[in-house]
Amino acid sequence: MTLLTFPPPVENEATEALRTEVRAFLAEAIATRTPLERAESWNGFDREFSRAMGARGWLGMTWPKEYGGHERSAFERYVVVEETLAAGAPVAAHWIADRQSGPSLLRYGTEAQKRTILPRIAAGDCVFCIGMSEPDSGSDLAATRTRAERQVDGSWTVNGTKLWTTYGHEADYMILFCRTSGTPADRHKGTSQLLVDMKATPGVTVRPIYDVMGQHHFNEVHFEDAVLPPDAILGTEGQGWAQVMGELAYERSGPERFLSSIQLLLELIGTLQGSESVAAQTAVGRLFSHLVTLRHMSRGVAALLEAGEDPTVHAAIVKDLGATFEQDLPDIARSLVDEEPDLQSTSDFAAVLAYTTMAAPAFSLRGGTREILRGIIARQLGLR
Amino acid sequence: MDDISSILYESAQRLLGDLSERVLAGQALTDKDRADGWRRIEEMGLPVALVSEEAGGFGFSDADAFGLVRICGRHIVAWPLVETMLANRFAVENGSEPLEGPVETLGELTPEQREAAALTRAVQMAGALDAILAMTISHVQERQQFGRALAKFQAVQHSLAILASEVAAGQAAADHAVARRAQGGDGATLAIGIARARIGEACSKAAAIAHQLHGAIGYAQEHRLHLYTTSLWKWRDEFGTQAWWTQQVGREVLASGRDAFWPMVTAA
Repeated sequence: MTLLTFPPPVENEATEALRTEVRAFLAEAIATRTPLERAESWNGFDREFSRAMGARGWLGMTWPKEYGGHERSAFERYVVVEETLAAGAPVAAHWIADRQSGPSLLRYGTEAQKRTILPRIAAGDCVFCIGMSEPDSGSDLAATRTRAERQVDGSWTVNGTKLWTTYGHEADYMILFCRTSGTPADRHKGTSQLLVDMKATPGVTVRPIYDVMGQHHFNEVHFEDAVLPPDAILGTEGQGWAQVMGELAYERSGPERFLSSIQLLLELIGTLQGSESVAAQTAVGRLFSHLVTLRHMSRGVAALLEAGEDPTVHAAIVKDLGATFEQDLPDIARSLVDEEPDLQSTSDFAAVLAYTTMAAPAFSLRGGTREILRGIIARQLGLR
Repeated sequence: MDDISSILYESAQRLLGDLSERVLAGQALTDKDRADGWRRIEEMGLPVALVSEEAGGFGFSDADAFGLVRICGRHIVAWPLVETMLANRFAVENGSEPLEGPVETLGELTPEQREAAALTRAVQMAGALDAILAMTISHVQERQQFGRALAKFQAVQHSLAILASEVAAGQAAADHAVARRAQGGDGATLAIGIARARIGEACSKAAAIAHQLHGAIGYAQEHRLHLYTTSLWKWRDEFGTQAWWTQQVGREVLASGRDAFWPMVTAA
């Protein structure tokens, strides 16, 4: 009768000792980072920081040692991920690789692909970007038109355009989702994933797309007769859809789906600290209760992952509730504090409020829109 | 949960399900039905489910006993069973014998008793949310409009997705408070406050969506939906209103301040 139970998280002394270690490291490593910079959350990019994380063994944590991993549990990885996010550390240079590209390579990659790339990711020395969305294929991923044609010598020629490619301009590799046979009308059939060396593939052009804040995270990646070697195929030709769904399960499952506004929440607490106002106490009590509950649910998703179970629906619930929580925060903050939002302000609250207000619309778009997530939940309930 | 508790869960589910069927709004039970029903509840030992084994209880762990409370939440019956469970627990804790039930009201409670009662209500709300979700899913699958089941409309699917997400969140908060209390230590009161704040909000949203999706049919007294929604509207503000509990949580957070905030989240 209970349809969606989240398993209780597993706590032990090892994870809590690790937490102390990560906090001590972060206190020093990002001491000079301003609240406004911290508010960038997982968009903050710093290769040096990622290398430092790698040097401590905090990337590729759950992977086998023979590929540079550390064979630690999903819960230990969770601790590192949530602590870096809560602190507002610049994690973008390792984020996508550690979260989804590495696990996909581990699952589907050839021995050679795993040996060349995974140790570099674990060292914090390899940036990945995602090659899913296209001009005519956003939420409707199966409508992909980018095409890789196999040549007589076994190599692949790629034509098409990928869009909203976060840090495509910095990336060393992309996992490209595209069509390798048939037409867009064939939907899921005839799609594959290919590994693209972003630094050494002729015919690949990366153009910036600026967001509403004028920041450059997104790109348009254009493939014009770009040639990939025969061994660029990731996993099985024609199995792209199943593989990309597995990759999305990793992309949607983490605490970044409810911690994007944490810096604003911290500034709000700092501003209201010690307040005796009933309105302030009630609003903060509600936010805290939501946050703590989301975290319990999210750690339940980590428990499902650790147990080898499919976390798709649980992750969709956490991401949908999490995005709503993150997006509600700016309005709640401005209803409690009489300060104008201003990116240039010397008040951290005012600057972070301005930033988070403008960042918020993306929270329910990236990694699967709200509408897609609700469709996934409805399917689990037996409605579709 | 061991075999004994799972057998008891099943029997309780069957008995309360059966008794719950007889509660139709606007239709009073006869005195005989009333007496017979309570006798069956007593025979199963449910009124002493929350007391120790020595005092006649099942000797359940707290977590297992709360599992039974959740089942009570799934079946609205005509007797104040959960109130009697609590009254017996408090009586036994005070060195008295379990009471002659059913007990309608609990009277003055100590702060500790009120906290236990607040958590019990949260778990009961979690059970009622199970029922509301299941009821709403069946309704939209069965009810046809415009030549197809309501479930086939995307607007309906998305409303139900929100309902299911709220139910899952409210229940996760209640489950966690039960686990925290079982662990003992300082964190239990805060966890109960969090549970009451979160599940109270889930109840409001769930009841609104369930009524919307049931249409006028669910607003009629002869439909069972209102037995659950009116109970939730009452329970969410008992043993400390949702507003009071939420404020207690917020007061503690704001008293601790900015630097203590994240450590407080990870310790909660």
